[in-house]
Amino acid sequence: MKMIFKVSVERCIACGKCELACAFAHGSEGRPAKTRINIHRRGPELGTPVVCFQCDDAACVAVCPTEALTRNRETGAIDMVRERCILCRMCVAACPFGNMLWDETYHCVQKCDLCEGDPRCVPFCPTGAIAWVPVEEAARPPQPLDREALVLEGGV
Amino acid sequence: MRIESRDQFEALRSQAGEAAASCEKKILVCCGTGCLASGAKKVAEAFAEEVARRSVDASVGFMVKTTGCHGFCERGPLVALQPSGILYTKVKPAHVGDIVEKTLVGGEVLPNLLYKNPVDGERVELYEEIPFYKHQVRVAMRNIGHVDPTDILDAVAVGAYTGLAKALFELSPEKVLEEVAISGQRGRGGAGFNTARKWRSCREAPGDRRFVLCNGDEGDPGAFKDRSIMEGDPHSVLEGMIIGAYAVGAHEGFIYVRDEYPLAVVNLTIAIAEARKYGLLGDNIMGSGFDFDIKISRGGGAFVCGESSALMRSLEGKTGEPRAKYVHSTEKGLFDLPTVLNNVETWAGIGAIIDRGGAWFASMGTEKSKGTKAFSLVGKVKNTGLIELPMGTTLRTIIFDIGGGTLGDRPFKAVQTGGPSGGCVPEELLDLPVDYEKLTEAGSMMGSGGMIVMDDRTCMVDVSRYFLSFLEEESCGKCTPCREGLQQMLHLFDALVEGRGAEGDIDRIERLARAMQLGSLCELGKSAPNPVLSTLRYFRSEYEAHIRDKACPAGICRELTAYEIVEEKCDGCHACFKACPVDAITGVVKEKHEIHHDICISCGACFDVCPTQAIRTFPKIELQRAEVE
Amino acid sequence: MMPTLHINGRRVTVAEDATILDAARAASVHIPTLCQFDGLEPWGGCRLCVVDMSRESWDDDWFKVVTACNHPVEEGMTVLTDSERIVETRRVVLDLLLARCPETPLVQRLAREHGIEKTSFEPNPEPDDCILCGLCTRVCDHIGVSAIASVNRGWGREIAPPFHQAPPDCIGCLACAEICPTDCIPYSTSSSRREIWGREFEMLRDPKTGEAVITKEQAEHFARRSGVPLAYFETSDTSKRREMAKTFEKLQVVK
Repeated sequence: MKMIFKVSVERCIACGKCELACAFAHGSEGRPAKTRINIHRRGPELGTPVVCFQCDDAACVAVCPTEALTRNRETGAIDMVRERCILCRMCVAACPFGNMLWDETYHCVQKCDLCEGDPRCVPFCPTGAIAWVPVEEAARPPQPLDREALVLEGGV
Repeated sequence: MRIESRDQFEALRSQAGEAAASCEKKILVCCGTGCLASGAKKVAEAFAEEVARRSVDASVGFMVKTTGCHGFCERGPLVALQPSGILYTKVKPAHVGDIVEKTLVGGEVLPNLLYKNPVDGERVELYEEIPFYKHQVRVAMRNIGHVDPTDILDAVAVGAYTGLAKALFELSPEKVLEEVAISGQRGRGGAGFNTARKWRSCREAPGDRRFVLCNGDEGDPGAFKDRSIMEGDPHSVLEGMIIGAYAVGAHEGFIYVRDEYPLAVVNLTIAIAEARKYGLLGDNIMGSGFDFDIKISRGGGAFVCGESSALMRSLEGKTGEPRAKYVHSTEKGLFDLPTVLNNVETWAGIGAIIDRGGAWFASMGTEKSKGTKAFSLVGKVKNTGLIELPMGTTLRTIIFDIGGGTLGDRPFKAVQTGGPSGGCVPEELLDLPVDYEKLTEAGSMMGSGGMIVMDDRTCMVDVSRYFLSFLEEESCGKCTPCREGLQQMLHLFDALVEGRGAEGDIDRIERLARAMQLGSLCELGKSAPNPVLSTLRYFRSEYEAHIRDKACPAGICRELTAYEIVEEKCDGCHACFKACPVDAITGVVKEKHEIHHDICISCGACFDVCPTQAIRTFPKIELQRAEVE
Repeated sequence: MMPTLHINGRRVTVAEDATILDAARAASVHIPTLCQFDGLEPWGGCRLCVVDMSRESWDDDWFKVVTACNHPVEEGMTVLTDSERIVETRRVVLDLLLARCPETPLVQRLAREHGIEKTSFEPNPEPDDCILCGLCTRVCDHIGVSAIASVNRGWGREIAPPFHQAPPDCIGCLACAEICPTDCIPYSTSSSRREIWGREFEMLRDPKTGEAVITKEQAEHFARRSGVPLAYFETSDTSKRREMAKTFEKLQVVK
């Protein structure tokens, strides 16, 4: 069954749990800067998740001189092959959507690789704004989010 | 002028033959690089002037021809006379008048210009009676010394391009291959790889475009056979390459000439232009429908560019560095296309092989090494020069019968064969028949045919050091074992010759040698330890003397050797005094002379000039011990 | 056709165009390398990866020493990565490298792993960290710039730009410095300026945020080479994500 990463923008409440989950999933210190999924915050509880589209005709793949970015046929992701990466940062500059990241602390490039077919961020999303679903489901429009019902107990 | 059929070629050949025969008396002045350096140009000019002066009288018909290297470089400038067959040696312009007047006109021989056999003191008149030439069988060098290399018709008259005509019009490419296979010819550049096998694997490689290359980068110090061939008979090389190209289906050829051979480049350029003019190169050669042309490429002064994969990289315009050999260049060579690379001497033999048949070539030589081989005989030998002999001739014949023995008849010690990749063969193996396998078994190798004769005044440790320092400069530096290993090996040897050798150095050297042999990328590094290992095999005691006794048994290593005059033998001739470059010798004529050790630099100049052998060497360490006492 | 071979007795089947090194990795056999890099053609210069190899048609005890990084595999091949002469050759190679670069941590570590604490040869009187693995020049060639090359023969070999001057072809991509296993190519970089090999580069800065990751020259070179439009390179990833997010917001229905 072919799976796909589905982003339902209207369900995002900008809680940032996916960012933390991603950071923790790739390394032990969980630096928030290490995340490969980024929430663009535009208001209270309003966010837009931006993550690698695993483009069919990717600019990052086209520009890489050593074929260090390759399609993983099982997960559908474009994987980083670190042993081939020469750290020229061209992919970072070339991605039209800003989903290729340069991590100065670890001095390397980062991108979403769909965690080898089991995206670690998905289980943490409280609203299902990000989901790992069969391809057929991807086209289905998302359920609108009842934002009123999200009021926390004990809050004002 | 363009030859468009075999008949036209035959017509040209007889025409050229007639023209050559028309002038009965010929004066052949050797103008190879060696004789040129001894002043042959002026000799040739003097002859030309003299003959011009005399041709006012129409009954006298002489022709002066400048030719390539006769090979007897020790005795140059050489002048051969035809049809008499007389060879005059060490000719100066002042002798020219007499030669023309007395010999050519008067038929009288001038004894002091004749070769004097050092063994019996006899003067030898005829070229072919001189031992140096008598034993030779010249195949690759068949025309050198007889033809003017800048005149294609001269070459055609003696048979150049006859083999080509036969190949193009009588044999298919496959048949040419078969003939070369029958000859058993092996590459004459050093590796000794079977020529036909190499051509066949190129022929069978897929693809339309392929190349034939000539390796004219002769880099071994002491080797000059390829130089002589390129300078003295360039057409033999061209002919061979055209035949080879026909056999493998190539239409493009390159001759890679080392930068230090300007005369070879000039003569090859002239030869190519002439061949093109006569339709022997270019489109539709001899009207056969086969197209092939040759370009010359000059090296940049790097020994490593004689290595085949490095040569190809250099030809491509890149830095001359070898690459891994797992992909054969017959499949992926120049520009990654099928390529045949052969040595100059290999190409030079092909025309004769096709003309006279592979079986003729195979009738000479040994079981596994067929045909003839050119050798450059140099070093401490009386007759230095270039010779070509059937494989299987013994070292003893070469050095003593042809070479006339060691200089000054000093005791023979060893002969170094194969250049910096080869080894030393000691006296007990002098009856070794020269062929690829036998030399390798003895710990040396054929290489390109250099033979350096050594006497008792040669230090084998110093010889190894010399070859190491040569290779250290020439290593391309790509791979660790060669680049670092040669440098470290040289450090070890510098220590040995300077008396700083320590116990265990021989083991260190052997360990490094093994790693270089196994780990290096190309043959330069792999064979670099050969001179070291072969001298260790036969002359280990010399190494041990350098380490343990701080002594050089041959009396050569300066730091380890002191000189002194043996009083009883000194006759006060004062020759040593004059020879000493640092004024370390004091003495009055007719009285005993003395060497002052504190000034003496142990150069040995006095030793070489002393007519009474009154100078002896001894380990310098004895001086220090004497001081201590 | 997928050839099967034996490495140190382990059976392994690999792709037809695999090298002995590929097969060793597939068989979990470690072969040390220095000049090898997955994204570049093998070079065979360091000679650290030497192995003993015997072809199927050869006698069982007849082996040849070859470099694993570039030697192709064959059906029925036998490979030994730790025969006595291989181990000894590797040790001598490291011993020699330690003599050239006695103060370089990578070389010291590799040498120590092979039992060498101090070089038994004469150490380099003026050591630096360059092990002459050629990776920098090879990656520069691979990118299509060829700004630096190895100059001089033999022991004096070094990596340098033409005539030891600031290389006019350099695009400031830092690939040479990044790939260098001993970090011996110095450079400095910020969002405004980059400096390497004596050349100064202006960075391609995002007009809004001022961020930059590549130089102008890099953008031009790679746009030409890859067909990716130059416009893609002109903004930072931060700005691009913001733009992307804004696009999605237009589609969004929020009550």
